[in-house]
Amino acid sequence: MLMPRRVKHRKQHRGRTGGLTRGTGDLAFGEYGIQALEPGWLTARQIEAARIAMTRAIKRGGKVWINVFPDKPVTKKPAETRMGSGKGNPEFWVAVVKPGRVLFELSFPNEEVAREALAKAVQKLPIKARVITKAEGV
Amino acid sequence: MPENTLTVTTGRLSGSAASRRLRAEGHIPGVLYGHGMTPVPLSVERRELRLALAGPAGFNTLLNLAVDGKTFPAIIKDFQRHPIRRNVAHIDFQQVSLTESITISVPVRLEGEAKAVLAVDGLVDAAMDSIEVVTTPNNMPNEIVIDISDLQPGDVIRLSDITLPAGVTAVADPDTTIVSAIHGSTEADGQTEAEAEAADAAEAADAAGDTPAE
Repeated sequence: MLMPRRVKHRKQHRGRTGGLTRGTGDLAFGEYGIQALEPGWLTARQIEAARIAMTRAIKRGGKVWINVFPDKPVTKKPAETRMGSGKGNPEFWVAVVKPGRVLFELSFPNEEVAREALAKAVQKLPIKARVITKAEGV
Repeated sequence: MPENTLTVTTGRLSGSAASRRLRAEGHIPGVLYGHGMTPVPLSVERRELRLALAGPAGFNTLLNLAVDGKTFPAIIKDFQRHPIRRNVAHIDFQQVSLTESITISVPVRLEGEAKAVLAVDGLVDAAMDSIEVVTTPNNMPNEIVIDISDLQPGDVIRLSDITLPAGVTAVADPDTTIVSAIHGSTEADGQTEAEAEAADAAEAADAAGDTPAE
């Protein structure tokens, strides 16, 4: 699973996810991609599950790019613990996503299979997302 | 080079609120500049623009902009899209001289089927989907077609291998890779479904013990 090798601070504030993505809303590498339609946190497990779903569906002969990286630690307090006594322990990593962000990109010769693979990956994500392609009009 | 006349309206109000109102009325805010002229804020009807760009050249169409009774030859220099709606939110027109060279980005289209590559489950990877070229507006190519039917696995098509139309010069390094034929890079390579699942399960077990680094 994706996670940073080393971080400066172990625990972070939750933050806010307002507004739309800036500068990361276009396909940069592949012909097809998955675009987020709402804000949210993608955990490293969800990103990995989506990647596996995609690569299984295309079997061979494609190229996958993951454009998001889970670099934000999320903490949790142990079960049945009284409130207080400081912030909980870091448990997992998330990528913060704003609407419009291109999450994954895919290059594959067959459009039908590529769309099917991306649709399977979308099902692994906790947010609304859609499949986009390079060809766009006015 | 196809040409289209596009009528634009000048005198639009600047600012995000005014631009938002324009877009709601079916107009796209934009600006015309270049060739020593003072930039002119303008707006164009979305439907008109769509029709003007409907030809084979697409966004590289040479336009005749009708601005307050005058006509300016212009190209689309840049445009912004709304991140969710994906429609054009703002457009930059650049006035051009028909005799002077300009730098534009021309889309690359791969023609044919690389059967030798597909036979070994490879992938024809287009490293660049457009090429920057210097040319006069009258010589602007609609697209650069690259025939990939004879491509073999491991082959690379570089910029120097492409024959550009007369009067068109590429800007980038001649050794720049445009298309490469690669073997499939998915992790399912050489694994059966069961093996892949086992590998994933092992990876998940490892990950469960991951603690955030400090």
